[in-house]
Amino acid sequence: MLLALLLITGTADWVPARWMSNDPKSLDLVAGTPVNCLLVEERLWSAPFAGRAKELGIATLGVVRPGGDPVASAKKAAATGLTGLALEGEFDDAVVAEIKPAVELTTRRRIRWDGPADILGTRQGLWPGIQIQESGAAKAAPTGGPWIETNTGFLRFARALTDKTIWTANTPPPKTLFSAERYLQAIADAAIAGARWVLAFDGDFTRRLLEGEAMALRDWKRIAAELRYFESHREWAGLASAGQLALVEDTGSGALMSGGVLDMIAAKHTPVRPVPGSKLSDDRMKGAKLAVNVDPAGLNAEQKEVLRRFARAGGTLLSGPPGWNFPSASGDAITLSKEDTDKLDGIWREMNAVTGRRNLGVRLFNVSSMLSNLLAAPDGKQVVLHLVNYSNYPVEAITAHVLGSFQKAALYRPEGPPQPLKPFPVEEGTGVEIDRLAVVGTVVLE
Amino acid sequence: MTRREWLALAGATAGIRGRLGAVSAPAPSAPVAIARCRSYNEDIAAILAGMFDQLGGLPGLVRNKTVTIKLNLTGSPALRFQGRPPAVTHYSHPKTVAAMAHLMGEAGARRIRLVESCWATAGPLEEYMLDSGWNVRSLQGAAANVEFENTNALGKGKRYSRLKVPGGGRIFPAYDLNHSYEDTDVFVSMAKLKNHATCGVTLSMKNIFGITPASIYGDDAGAGEPNESPGKGRVEVCHLGRRQPAKSAPGEVDRSSSRDPGFRMPRIVADLVAARPIHVAFVDGIETIAGGEGPWIPGIRAVEPGVMVLGANPVNTDAVATAVMGYDPRAGRGKPPFSSCDNTLLLAESLGVGTADLGRIEVLGLKVAEARFKF
Repeated sequence: MLLALLLITGTADWVPARWMSNDPKSLDLVAGTPVNCLLVEERLWSAPFAGRAKELGIATLGVVRPGGDPVASAKKAAATGLTGLALEGEFDDAVVAEIKPAVELTTRRRIRWDGPADILGTRQGLWPGIQIQESGAAKAAPTGGPWIETNTGFLRFARALTDKTIWTANTPPPKTLFSAERYLQAIADAAIAGARWVLAFDGDFTRRLLEGEAMALRDWKRIAAELRYFESHREWAGLASAGQLALVEDTGSGALMSGGVLDMIAAKHTPVRPVPGSKLSDDRMKGAKLAVNVDPAGLNAEQKEVLRRFARAGGTLLSGPPGWNFPSASGDAITLSKEDTDKLDGIWREMNAVTGRRNLGVRLFNVSSMLSNLLAAPDGKQVVLHLVNYSNYPVEAITAHVLGSFQKAALYRPEGPPQPLKPFPVEEGTGVEIDRLAVVGTVVLE
Repeated sequence: MTRREWLALAGATAGIRGRLGAVSAPAPSAPVAIARCRSYNEDIAAILAGMFDQLGGLPGLVRNKTVTIKLNLTGSPALRFQGRPPAVTHYSHPKTVAAMAHLMGEAGARRIRLVESCWATAGPLEEYMLDSGWNVRSLQGAAANVEFENTNALGKGKRYSRLKVPGGGRIFPAYDLNHSYEDTDVFVSMAKLKNHATCGVTLSMKNIFGITPASIYGDDAGAGEPNESPGKGRVEVCHLGRRQPAKSAPGEVDRSSSRDPGFRMPRIVADLVAARPIHVAFVDGIETIAGGEGPWIPGIRAVEPGVMVLGANPVNTDAVATAVMGYDPRAGRGKPPFSSCDNTLLLAESLGVGTADLGRIEVLGLKVAEARFKF
């Protein structure tokens, strides 16, 4: 076994970052932060670096891309003392089977959901943030607010499909400078869906960080604090999506896309739980009152029967029109074309008319620049509401009306200790108010 | 000014005298107060109370009365300028609204109803306010009997109220409105000190355009009956005149008239102010925007004039506010701020609502020159 030399343990706890230095001293920046797994380009592989990382308990993964000899690279990685390999790109099954990488960062379509790897990864992470048009104005979402580029629709589906650790990655576009907020948003965008964003910094930030520039160090601390925040609450990642709206979709019906039906629903701040068609069961539909079946033709007889039972029991079922198929994105595209988005309008409008102002788990106010994810403990006694602000300005005066009666509420934030909130009764259940939110916050109600 | 004089003036604005083109008496004039207020963290209630005192006091106007306060919450609450809360750019600010409600309550108002035709929805005004970042619960506590109504559709009423334009109207002869605009003794317009892309300025009078329900005057209004779930604005019917309102309401007086928004909108606003008189006109210029009425207008900028303007007559008040913005309130079409529109103030003046002649308006508190902030 080629990589028997590489000791790979505790992969589920790895907090990954691309690292653009092989100076062992640069690891002092990482030590003491939650980052414990560095992805290193082949040109930077070095035994002293790998050795020092090992001493600090930091895993090192050598990045290998198509085009060379992956087996030779694997041998070189082993000889260098790296912990394992990260295959970034599309590799033949035989190569993957031989090398057994710690993680494959492939296209969303080629993720091996049922493969042996503990970590499933994609290099097709969208850089989360508010989409700006060429004119400089923010593109409008169905709510009239800004449209937010996000991986959450895809990641929430992935979370519903598998219990494995999920990584989503990308690199900053060339000649682009990102604010620290953008990195914080990317981390949170993945984390609220129970996944991990592979940290990757633009060239300028990387340089300033490695040089120890004060501003960069301050931003690095903020990034570490946010990572620490999510890592210290890993129990949230195991909670299931909550709410009374179920979205039945699958890998062939847009679930791997960004900007699809789930993201459209999320932009309206309606809680939705994705139900993979292949996992459709009475249990998965428990608690749902409204279901949207994106691709009826994609279900087998048994799965269709589950939805019939759901409807017979009083649930409202919306399906794509007969003969309607989810727009099939071309190639490895992960966003829908305008033409495809228009095709979704019909099903979107129908769903919008049915949901209206209904509270399907939580209703949020003053959150136009935000996305949320509502999770619940299996017994329903604890509800966790993640909020991410994608603007570079703090949001003030957020209100949430949560279904159900709760006695205690607190706001968790990376910036400080949990802040008690005072729940108050509202028509639909329980209301809470948040004075101010910077990038991320989590309301826990009990 | 005595309370009696204040009441007399307030009463004068409530009744429009004469028919269109037949107003012989000079348009009414009432004092206007200007106050310095640099921040929403100042004691706005105290400053506002002082302004009301300068104008003659509030109790006589509102005691045991139903007061309806029209807010300015234009455009979707999701639309923000540079991510700022809409209340510091283009919306009424909850602190000025709370202060106004509080003073009305203290002065003995029996019921205070906050109203606005919320953009593209017939949902509750309270939820629209929450979406705007307002604390509705504290607003409810500002005075006893505070109510909320979204007037974009029928709302809590059983029928629409038809308010006729004195003199027959220049665009529409009458308007079918939410009941709140009829079921009230005192009508307050709480506006923002802003430019307006179509009308030049948007002050206490232009704010009243928002009383027209989109259910009838909206782009997706029913052809025959009102659409009680409106989801669009009012551009097609009002600005452009490309379609008529729902047939349940009176259609246009002259369908061959100009379709130019700069012709239509000032006339619609002036007609509305004549049909639904304003008793208290308030203009918030503490923090606002210049260059347009909302984030959808290219080139707007955030500004902090640090003033509030208050009066009993909307034309007088808007004339003073326009002067504070650095403009001539009597400027004709083609001159700023009325570069591509007719002057709403002069149109309202010709209807006998009030004078736009600064020389005939008593200004209390700050002088116009002291308050001037060039837009």
